[in-house]
Amino acid sequence: MRRRIWNVVRMEWAGMAATPSSLLFLVVIPLILVAQALFLSWIVPRFVNPAILGPTVTDAGALRLLILRQFPFFVLLIPAMVANVFATLGIVEEKVSRTLEPLLATPVRTWELLAGKILSGALPGLVVAWASAALFVAIGYALGWGSQLSSILTATFFLDTLLLMPAVSLLSFILGVIGSSRARDAKEAQNLAVLVIFPIFGLIAVQVTGLVQFTPVRTLLLSLAFLAVDVILLRGAVRLFGRESIVTRWK
Amino acid sequence: MIDHVVISTEGLSKRFGDRVAVDALTVAVRAGEIVGLLGPNGAGKTTTLRMLAGIIAPSAGRAVVDGRNPASEPERVHESIGFLTESPGFYERLSAERNLAYFAAFYEGVDAQVAAARELARLGLADRARDKVGTFSKGMKQRLALARVLLHEPRILFLDEPTAGLDPEAARNLRELIVSLRERGCTILLSTHNLSEAEELSDRIAVFRTRLLAIDTPKALRERQFERRLRVRLADGVEPSLAALREEPYVREARAEGDGVLVVLLADPDSDRPRLVSRIVQAGGRILEVREDERPLEDAYLSLVREEES
Repeated sequence: MRRRIWNVVRMEWAGMAATPSSLLFLVVIPLILVAQALFLSWIVPRFVNPAILGPTVTDAGALRLLILRQFPFFVLLIPAMVANVFATLGIVEEKVSRTLEPLLATPVRTWELLAGKILSGALPGLVVAWASAALFVAIGYALGWGSQLSSILTATFFLDTLLLMPAVSLLSFILGVIGSSRARDAKEAQNLAVLVIFPIFGLIAVQVTGLVQFTPVRTLLLSLAFLAVDVILLRGAVRLFGRESIVTRWK
Repeated sequence: MIDHVVISTEGLSKRFGDRVAVDALTVAVRAGEIVGLLGPNGAGKTTTLRMLAGIIAPSAGRAVVDGRNPASEPERVHESIGFLTESPGFYERLSAERNLAYFAAFYEGVDAQVAAARELARLGLADRARDKVGTFSKGMKQRLALARVLLHEPRILFLDEPTAGLDPEAARNLRELIVSLRERGCTILLSTHNLSEAEELSDRIAVFRTRLLAIDTPKALRERQFERRLRVRLADGVEPSLAALREEPYVREARAEGDGVLVVLLADPDSDRPRLVSRIVQAGGRILEVREDERPLEDAYLSLVREEES
């Protein structure tokens, strides 16, 4: 079972390696997001009057802290963007290249195929996201923002990065693969890809509006809730796979 | 030929909405046999192979392949079959070797690298093992597709249009390979539009048009559709012999055809043949050749399909 999932993962990675633009995407997009976050954390406190944000934000340091606190949630966008490209094309590419039917004639089970597709994108997406977070923190310290950074590097931050981020990433990839297996062509798959961003936008909206404070317990519960949704959706993805319509309707 | 049944279907049917693709197919294929599936486009040949391969589920009826039901145990069936699909799809940016190793790694007990190298060598592609599949010709891709279905050395093969689109030499090489697989004991279901290919390779031919119209050896199919006539070539004029034959009670029909040829329909083509020869000799005819008037399989096939249409 694990051998077959791992086989799919390795093949997907071989495909990525054979497509330099994929690797470029994996590296460039996270770098742009990190650079953008660093730039905002640097420029906003310099040129914006903290008073416009209300009485609680009294100086530039507090303003930077406010921006830095959003960063963990923006990091979640990295695996979601990776999912947007890799997961949504995962099954469609098999359809287009006519490899799906020969693949379905092997002993691989549908869930193993889908799990392999999901993991092949989710794992590098997570690694890149973690590397981006580490890069951001390292540069932030180098720029002298240590005091503000140390106040966000809390248990919540680590739970968010190590548990919530994988759970939400998986959700994005599962949604992407579902979209891919239901799409009739690559264009439709790309259109459905917008689905994968929704869970992240939801979290960002909750954080930005300040409606919910992300304590360690809340982050843990939220992560577990996302993991439960992942399991349910993966089962749904297997049911929605529809191998019959794929092999008979794709000409 | 080993005599046990390895593929059987009973009332196997498939509907897509209101359209019946396969209607109550009941057939049995013995181990080591090659059975050709012949039928017009849309006759249900590919659908049948897909149901037998456990890729799509039947709407009614059941199939047993190598002792297992492909609808309920598809993965177990996949361990013992190889399915050459109509389109030989590959990951074109990757090498032939990588493609084969990927598919081989799904099978239990198969060393993917060893199997890939073995089949590339067998199909004459060893020197292109590391080349991207995207650089391959259609014939090479078809050979690679056949290599893919042989990776786990299956006992049962489903081949869907294996020589479609190949040049004559590539098609012949592939046919030779199919014959060699039969010699190794493989049971093969071969879907094809190519009648001469079906006749050359198949022990039996199933003529299909949504439902099974006939299944038999190519010779028996011809005999079933057409009466067995004898062609007698004479060294001189046919008139005396023709007149003599028309008086014989066992001659149901006799006519001259072309220059010095008699076409004769006997009541019993086997037992009446010596009497026929004697009678022509008595009438002064000098016989050069007596042979059965073999109608091409194409005629039998078209006759069956047209009967069904009408």
